[in-house]
Amino acid sequence: MLLLDYQNVLIESLLKDRFSGGSPPASIDQVVSDFDGVTFHISTPEVKTKILVSISVKCFPELVQYGAEAVLEREYGPYIVAPESGYDFSVLVDLENLPDDQEAKDDLVRRISLLKRNAMAAPFEQAFDEFHQLQEEASKYTSESAPQGVLEGGQTRAIHYREEEAIYIKASHDRVTVIFSTVFREETDRIFGKVFLQEFVDARRRAIQNAPQVLFRNEPPLELQNVPGINNSGSGEIGYITFVLFPRHLTMQRRAEVISHIQTFRDYFHYHIKASKAYIHSRMRRRTADFLQVLRRARPESDDKERKTASGRTFKVQS
Amino acid sequence: MATLNWRTINIDALDPESPANFDLSTLTPAVAPVSTADVQALAGQIRQLLRGGDSEGALQGALENPPYGADERGKDVHLATIIEILQSIRQADMSPMLGRLYKAPGGTEALDVLMKYIYKGMAHTSAPSTATKITPQPTGFSQVHSSRSGEGGGQAMSVLLSWHEKLVEIAGPGCIVRVMTDRRTV
Amino acid sequence: MSQSLRPYLQCVRSSLTAALSLSNFASQASERHNVPEIEAASCPEVLLNPLTVSRNENEKVFIEPSINSVRISIRIKQADEIEHILVHKFTRFLTQRAEAFFILRRKPVKGYDISFLITNFHTEEMLKHKLVDFIIQFMEEVDKEISEMKLFLNARARFVAESFLTPFD
Repeated sequence: MLLLDYQNVLIESLLKDRFSGGSPPASIDQVVSDFDGVTFHISTPEVKTKILVSISVKCFPELVQYGAEAVLEREYGPYIVAPESGYDFSVLVDLENLPDDQEAKDDLVRRISLLKRNAMAAPFEQAFDEFHQLQEEASKYTSESAPQGVLEGGQTRAIHYREEEAIYIKASHDRVTVIFSTVFREETDRIFGKVFLQEFVDARRRAIQNAPQVLFRNEPPLELQNVPGINNSGSGEIGYITFVLFPRHLTMQRRAEVISHIQTFRDYFHYHIKASKAYIHSRMRRRTADFLQVLRRARPESDDKERKTASGRTFKVQS
Repeated sequence: MATLNWRTINIDALDPESPANFDLSTLTPAVAPVSTADVQALAGQIRQLLRGGDSEGALQGALENPPYGADERGKDVHLATIIEILQSIRQADMSPMLGRLYKAPGGTEALDVLMKYIYKGMAHTSAPSTATKITPQPTGFSQVHSSRSGEGGGQAMSVLLSWHEKLVEIAGPGCIVRVMTDRRTV
Repeated sequence: MSQSLRPYLQCVRSSLTAALSLSNFASQASERHNVPEIEAASCPEVLLNPLTVSRNENEKVFIEPSINSVRISIRIKQADEIEHILVHKFTRFLTQRAEAFFILRRKPVKGYDISFLITNFHTEEMLKHKLVDFIIQFMEEVDKEISEMKLFLNARARFVAESFLTPFD
């Protein structure tokens, strides 16, 4: 269980079960949570054969601003319905009107369980498109004579997907920079995080030559200097992790995979920090128990002070 | 009534019989006061012996005249002298030299003094650095500052530790107990 | 590095064996009371000279003997931040179970990481050489454990980073 799944496993298994048609349709009403405070609501509001899947994302208005509607339209076109109350977006699937072949059905299941990923993908796709555009423009000039706008790159898109944490995406003519801002409340977490991040930074140098470049700082990096809402208190609680994606990561065929993968970074990171903390704790507990055992050995063995009287009654001597 | 809160008077300090007013110096046998200049003169003499190659004589001389009566600075000077001597003697020579010292008259006394200096040396060479906390480093990796004094101190420590081991072999754990109980501290 | 470990532990062992000669001593200040004199420190004449055994500035053992009790404080080697945290957590784990450990002191002496308080009652009911064995083993194990945990953490971080970055390849 090393890497996180891109799709929501609960939704996927539920839908697969329903689509397979093995069991008669039953009514469903479940609220499923996902990472980053995202909730799904899967239900059968009117009839048992129509399944409604709704998603609520905290930063949906921001995503809409970056073109989320277009992406969702592209992915789910015929199935979109008006959003359920309390949720941001809904998809309705009619079990009686499913596509016939199994492959198409599986594809539908997959796409619906990737609802969160698709919703969040819009700003990334926009940035990638901008990158291609800028790259084309820049290729017309040499690097010195390129006009200022092309050199600087596009605007920075901010997605505040969590309380106090955000993703910033900025496209340039030769790369796309994705910056995660993450909060560590405790000093120990910060230090664990630092150890892990140091390895991320070093991995490119050491093993995987083609990985994106990773940088880490406690102050907001230069790209974010003029973005509103950046908390520059300098308390050291907020860390900024920068991923620099190079052109080879941004090709059309790699794009979907890259977007899915990079979205899972923050949760992946925190998950592994917590897992190692738990392991270290259990190890310390075991070691403490070992010490206790050694100390008990220091007590001299008291033989079972059982005595027998002449008539055969046994009793223990009070030590 | 007095403005002083009579409940907070430290009655033990005023009581002439109380242990707080116990004069510790009565426990120690009388020691002759020694001036720092005397200690330094002695140190000079011992260094000459050392340079002459007579490390055993130097050690013996240093151990026979511990400046119990000197002040802090004098004692530090003598400590530095002894550490110098100990560092100059080779590993192989340690045990035979200690054996000879032990057999000489007043040997146990001399070895006790040596043990005292070993412990004082270990306490001292670590004292200046304990004041500094470990400052958090920017990366998670260890960045060992190897300052001159740190390196010298570390080396002195291992010398002292090996001397300690040899000394316990010859003089026994009683030597350590005598260090703990003797109130005349070097 | 470990070549100075053996004489260091040997030195600690012999100093401890010498220091652990404790006898029962009723309190001089209060009738029918029996307190560990090193903690109460009410009378200066029952306290003996403290000893320090050190390997370098970062690792030392401070032994404070008295007539009926001994306080042993250990400072564990912590080279960097992550070791600092690991040692801190580990000693907290131990001190929270101090009741089970008998000889452990809940708060370490200032300047050290962990302290033990051994009284004459402990030496009466436990074998003295085993007590010394325990402390020596404790010192060895803690060092080993801290470096193992740090190695594990680094290895895991490396693995995590590589498996995240590989799909980008």
